[in-house]
Amino acid sequence: MTQLSQKHLLGIKDITEKDIQLIFDTADTFKEVINRPIKKVPSLRDITIANVFFENSTRTRLSFELAEKRLSADVINFSASSSSVKKGETLLDTVNNILAMKVDMVVMRHASPGAPHFLSRHINANIINAGDGTHEHPTQALLDTYSIYQKYGNVAGLKVAIIGDILHSRVAISNIFALKKLGAEVMVCGPNTLLPRYIQSLGVKVELDVFKALQWCDVANVLRIQLERQQIKYFPSLREYSLYYGINLAMLQKLDKEITIMHPGPINRGVELSSDVADSNHAIILDQVENGVATRMAVLYLLASQKQ
Amino acid sequence: MSTLISSVKIIDKKSKHHLKVRNVLIAKGKIEYIGTDSPKASNLINGKGCILSQGLCDLQATYADPGLEHKEDLISGSEAAMAGGFTDVVLLPNTQPVIQKKNDIKYLTKGNAGSLVQIHPLGAISVDIKGEALTDMLDLSEAGAIAFSDGLTPLWNADLLLKSLQYIKKIDGLIINRPEDKWLALFGVINEGENSALLGMKGIPALAEELAVARDIDILAYTNGRLHLSNISTEGAVKLIKQAKKKGLNISCDVAAHQLVFDDSSVLSFDANYKVSPPFRTESDRKALIKGLQDGTIDAIVSSHQPHDQECKQLEFDLADFGIIGQQTVLSLLHNVAEVIGWEQIIDKLTYDAREIIGLPSIAIKEGEIANLMLFNPKEEWEYNLGSNKSKSQNSPLMGQTLVGKVKAVFNNNKQLIF
Repeated sequence: MTQLSQKHLLGIKDITEKDIQLIFDTADTFKEVINRPIKKVPSLRDITIANVFFENSTRTRLSFELAEKRLSADVINFSASSSSVKKGETLLDTVNNILAMKVDMVVMRHASPGAPHFLSRHINANIINAGDGTHEHPTQALLDTYSIYQKYGNVAGLKVAIIGDILHSRVAISNIFALKKLGAEVMVCGPNTLLPRYIQSLGVKVELDVFKALQWCDVANVLRIQLERQQIKYFPSLREYSLYYGINLAMLQKLDKEITIMHPGPINRGVELSSDVADSNHAIILDQVENGVATRMAVLYLLASQKQ
Repeated sequence: MSTLISSVKIIDKKSKHHLKVRNVLIAKGKIEYIGTDSPKASNLINGKGCILSQGLCDLQATYADPGLEHKEDLISGSEAAMAGGFTDVVLLPNTQPVIQKKNDIKYLTKGNAGSLVQIHPLGAISVDIKGEALTDMLDLSEAGAIAFSDGLTPLWNADLLLKSLQYIKKIDGLIINRPEDKWLALFGVINEGENSALLGMKGIPALAEELAVARDIDILAYTNGRLHLSNISTEGAVKLIKQAKKKGLNISCDVAAHQLVFDDSSVLSFDANYKVSPPFRTESDRKALIKGLQDGTIDAIVSSHQPHDQECKQLEFDLADFGIIGQQTVLSLLHNVAEVIGWEQIIDKLTYDAREIIGLPSIAIKEGEIANLMLFNPKEEWEYNLGSNKSKSQNSPLMGQTLVGKVKAVFNNNKQLIF
């Protein structure tokens, strides 16, 4: 198979295991490219990509922009702070205006779950979901599972614990889908108020004790506390959260095995991860960042080649 | 002018012609003749395969008039109602301004004398629907408020529900409440369940409704008043109301027609035309609602007609407004439900049972009576599209579909409309 089964990348839920494997294989090639002295290839020449960010983002936007530029695409950036969204324009109008300038692909981040799905019913360009509210963040899940794949050589059979604010995390949902499709066992762990009540229906184990989760897993993907997405109080204080759900080196040393620590960033140091963990050999956090560029190049390339 | 409907099946549980095929002559606003003969008439309708019943009564609709007339006004709303077979419509007070003064009531009812559709306004329970202070309920009642409700907004203030039930007892008045706990439902957009976990959307738990139903039942028992709970959506709520009825409390409830058809898997497409309040629940809830209709726990079916312009609906799901239109399509929507529970029961819940709750007289289909009637062909297919839609709004999940079951005519107030 050399083509993706979907026209858009709206979520991991919609793609197949074969799609994911194809993205991994393509990412392998691009990872080699970005480690060359000349990091650029002409694959997306004449393709115009709009990065449309209705929510703040630093690393995802930079990662996409870098991936696009390394593929020689023409790139335009649009962010809500400098846009007409504040003037009351609807999503559909904003995006149609951008598309009228002959854009081929849209990379969109939006605060509303399903916003890219809504858009896909109304426009023709390829859409890549760069995070839709608390729903999905497919490229993050691809880079996370790709990082696991790179470290372990496979994903099937591994035990992965996703720890933290599951309720407000698009990373969690996409990761669950990707990991399950690739054959990993998945556990979610966090304060009960931050776990969706029906999360078990996605085929995951639920654990409320973080140390037990660490004992169980091979890989711990530790999520950020999404204070900005919490509309009401879900736990008493950050102090208590860090005491009962924060991970420090002493905990990892008590385990009878080496586990891998991942984090999608940005880290709240001292809250979900202590610095002695974030900066330790357990962590592959910066590998994730590097793999982010390679997997996004793979996604962009595969979607664009489908169009041609 | 006289109209003869030939070979039509009559559905009216209190008529001696119930379930019989008859020729019915209507003249000067009255039923002149029912039988097997064919008296002369200026207008003939072939009623073969059709159902003739009382005009339907909708216990719950909003027309956005006054205030947001671009969504719906009294005229377009009435047209949607007639096309759906309704001759009586109860309007919620959630307009701008809120229906809370006697002039507001008069504004809504002033057209009734010359209209086929009769509008029956609900007066607000609380001033500006804020759930804080009672409106002048007795004055509103005298002006024509048929019952009292804060409409789409649940009464969050237990004391206000208690006081309103007590206060209105003087006139044996009816309080209508939408049971939902404000805090448990806060920021929710769909049913809390497997699909909310899947879509990452904040769910509204069934508990939010059931807790409110339980609270309302306790307050009703305490005050011994008359309470109607609108838009029931969960299995648990049906159970609680069934128990309350067994205890002999003066309680009734209704369900929106769309809740009998859709479940929460419909939101997987992120189409805001499936965003309603209460949200579509699980398949098990949907089945429990149908069972509740069958065993008499649920007294009435309502359209829960809620018009919204495209600017409020063609949006990201969480930003879109709650509510869909449905008055014109209630019977078509219930086509499949009718195969399970039969048209008789559905029509009962839209005529006799609905009118009884709000104290409107029901006129049986018999010779000499006023003609308040609806003619419906349950097998006829029709296209529901922007051309055939009577509402000013188009926020219906059925838009663009071929529907089965079409209203052919309505009669009331010495007027008739034949489609």
